[in-house]
Amino acid sequence: MIESILLWLFAMLIAPFFHAVTLKVKAFFGGKKGPPLLINYYTLIKLFKKGSVYSTSTSYIFKLGPMVSLCTAAVVLMFLPIAGRPPIFSFNGDIIFLLYLMGLGRFFTIAAAMDTASPFEGMGAAREAYFPIICEASLFMMLILFYLLTGELQLSAYFSGTHPFELWQKAGSPLLFVVPSLFIVLLTENSRVPVDDPATHLELTMIHEVMVLDHSGPDFAFIELGSFFKLFFYASLVGRLAFPFELAHPALTIVFFIIALLPVYMVVGVTESVMARYRMDKVPRFVLTSFALTFFATAIILEFIQ
Amino acid sequence: MDLFFSSVLLILAGGVFALYFWRQFHLMKTVGVAAVSIGCALGVMDAGAKLFDQQTSSASFVYLHSFSLSFQIDKLSAFFLVAIFGVCLLATIYSFHYLNNSQKTLRIAVNYFFFSLLIASMALVVCAANLITFMLSWEIMSLSSYFLVIYDHHASENRKAGLLYFVFSQVGAMFILAAFGIMYGYSGGFGFDVGAALPDTVKLVVLILAFIGFGSKAGVFPFHVWLPHAHPAAPSHISAVMSGVMIKTGIYGILRLYVSMNLHTPLFGEIVLVAGMVSGILGVVYALGQHDIKRLLAYHSVENIGIILIGIGIGMIGVSFNQPFMAVLGFSGGLLHVLNHSIFKSLLFMGAGVVLQKTGTRSIDALGGLLKKMKITGATFLVGSLAISGLPPFNGFVSEFLIYIGGFRGIALSSTAFVLSLMAIISLAVIGGLALACFSKVVGVVFQGEPRTAAAQDVNEKGPAMLGAMIVLAVACVVIGVLPRGFIQMATQGVSALNLGYGPIPIEPFSLMAGNITLGASVFLALLVLVMFLRRLLYNGKTIGSAGTWGCGFTQPTPRMQYTGSSYAASILEFFKPVAPLHEHHSAISGLFPKKTHYHGQIGDIAELHMDTLVVRPVRSLFDKLRWIQHGDIHLYIGYILLAMVVLLFFV
Repeated sequence: MIESILLWLFAMLIAPFFHAVTLKVKAFFGGKKGPPLLINYYTLIKLFKKGSVYSTSTSYIFKLGPMVSLCTAAVVLMFLPIAGRPPIFSFNGDIIFLLYLMGLGRFFTIAAAMDTASPFEGMGAAREAYFPIICEASLFMMLILFYLLTGELQLSAYFSGTHPFELWQKAGSPLLFVVPSLFIVLLTENSRVPVDDPATHLELTMIHEVMVLDHSGPDFAFIELGSFFKLFFYASLVGRLAFPFELAHPALTIVFFIIALLPVYMVVGVTESVMARYRMDKVPRFVLTSFALTFFATAIILEFIQ
Repeated sequence: MDLFFSSVLLILAGGVFALYFWRQFHLMKTVGVAAVSIGCALGVMDAGAKLFDQQTSSASFVYLHSFSLSFQIDKLSAFFLVAIFGVCLLATIYSFHYLNNSQKTLRIAVNYFFFSLLIASMALVVCAANLITFMLSWEIMSLSSYFLVIYDHHASENRKAGLLYFVFSQVGAMFILAAFGIMYGYSGGFGFDVGAALPDTVKLVVLILAFIGFGSKAGVFPFHVWLPHAHPAAPSHISAVMSGVMIKTGIYGILRLYVSMNLHTPLFGEIVLVAGMVSGILGVVYALGQHDIKRLLAYHSVENIGIILIGIGIGMIGVSFNQPFMAVLGFSGGLLHVLNHSIFKSLLFMGAGVVLQKTGTRSIDALGGLLKKMKITGATFLVGSLAISGLPPFNGFVSEFLIYIGGFRGIALSSTAFVLSLMAIISLAVIGGLALACFSKVVGVVFQGEPRTAAAQDVNEKGPAMLGAMIVLAVACVVIGVLPRGFIQMATQGVSALNLGYGPIPIEPFSLMAGNITLGASVFLALLVLVMFLRRLLYNGKTIGSAGTWGCGFTQPTPRMQYTGSSYAASILEFFKPVAPLHEHHSAISGLFPKKTHYHGQIGDIAELHMDTLVVRPVRSLFDKLRWIQHGDIHLYIGYILLAMVVLLFFV
């Protein structure tokens, strides 16, 4: 339990660092030196020191939004098996709870954006409400697949200990479909290229970034921190699934887990560097690809089981 | 049963009193509301006690010397009674300040009369122990609610809505009557228990006929067409009751006949499940496209009935595949959703009622910024919205969680059960996402931002009775969401009356599940409190400014620039175009100095669109062709009667 709590704190501390890895990779592709690897910590500290300016149109929901989105992301990390170690909490069906809890975070992000009465934030909110619907369908499809393989309905039954390795042994080829599928969900849920461009400054092309235009100071820091946690959650799922190795000593496993996370964040950076953002109305097709991949993986599994 | 009948009588007495003393407006309202709400409160207590009581109480009266009107309260009835009396109690209290127009005293008195009749007949429907009692109560319920729908009968659209509702409820009743007729024809008895003796094919026919009849009351796609018309027409507390509990009598009817038939073929479960998925997804898609807040909520009833049917369908499939745990999970998830939906839907309708009363408009795109002036309405509406989207830590999540777990049990089964469970899980996920999109639209456009028109500008929320009822419902949403244990137990008690043949339902797995939900919810809430504290620390002693929203270069932003509900939903609706055709009217922009233009978009409901070509026109042309029978000569009519009697004498 203490180990799990320590790992949870560790994950929250290190999540901003990994995001900087992506920035570094993008800078490399752009022929630039890029920001230091600790940039996100500097930004967070700077934001925490500042005060805020609130729009006169907003209400308390605007202030509640960042807190709820940070909280949901932190709770989700409590249920995440980090480095294959058991999470703090885990129960039958916890993954359903987590997906819906992230829905709660999304609701409040949207509500905070709608609170500003800005047309641009409304635009972002509409997209934020739309794309995750398909993501959720895809994630539940993945859940069905894992349930078929393991007969369990909890996150720790898929991603802790040697479980992911057993998944590969049971159904290696279908899992090859699942990894990219989960990666597409990662890109969509965390507003990365090609779904959303976090670096652009044209509101019409942004989803998540446009929704937080009016937030400032510690509120904005909460939002940033929440989004680092969320990215860490998905990245560690992808990382654990792609590199399901358990080493002799727990400490070694943790080190290996951290090293295994780097490629995931780097691939995000590479994807962002070599791809252009899709036209908004083409994005659903891209996200549906993820659903289709998992769906076919499930179909293949059925052949194996029967 | 004494307490039950006295509460029903008290409710009826309240209604009759209101009608009799209609001239004294305040006396009529005070005594009427008090009597009805005391009656409902007694009813809730009685039903709650009966739910955990082992005995089944019954009573019967001889009617017209030939039939007996018999009533019976088993646990299933008791479960529905809790919802009916509970919601009606709050709706009655709410109505005290909602119906405040002393110019319309007679109309309001009539409204109270039919309202009390509706409450009493709903209670009798779920307690009816034989077919005749059931049908009588059912008809009283349909007719009294018809008069409630046409409360504002001066507007022609309301009369039209009333007519549509009348036709649908009567056609539905005919289907139920046909099912009952077959039951009687094969068994010769009027009790519900005769069903078990019928041959299997007959049972299936009875169930399907009854499903259509009950489905049209419950608002199952494609028999839901009356619902989005009738709910906006009725006063808000009536919509709350109709949508919150009246349509659930349809669910009750389906369950009651399912119990009585004792037919465990997978086919019926599959029909129910597929109907649930279709209603669920289409209901929420059509809701997204609405501009009228009450119409939007009405479509959400279609969606939630879909979720309930998904739960019940999973339960039925579990029974037919002999999977006790899946069966109990599906049924109890469905039943709990009946209770949950009755809570958050009536809360939302009441909130919409306050908005309507204070602003005078139901159009979503005409409102905005209400949260600042209507603090309690806004907060409770937000809670209701989160609950209906099925998000933790609110009550909608709990029932959906049970249904999900039941659905995952079905994944382990073979062929059709597997495919249907898979589809059920995916559709539940999609419904959840769409509901979130829809309610973030409602909250965002109606309650947040800046007022879009003058109607939304100077509002207040006076009326403690209205606010009190909404606060109670909002608290119930949170309590069930955080501490679901007792409520899940209530649902399993209701399931135990279904005679699934599994004996007493084990409590441990359910308390474990409830404990898990409580754990998750409390971890989240604890962390939220911590973060709130942290935020306060971080903002301690800092300069906090305020300015207008950053308009991206606009120096003169106006509220009209805000994103509207229509634009918010546009891209999602684009995806569902095949099932939700969008009809747009706008004049094209042309010339160097274009004139003022307008835009009007409307989502077509395919059931409504095709009803005309597939049902109404064929029926009308058929009867046009048969018109020669009815030519106006009385001698021939007497001849018809004679002929009919002779024919009957030969054959019967």
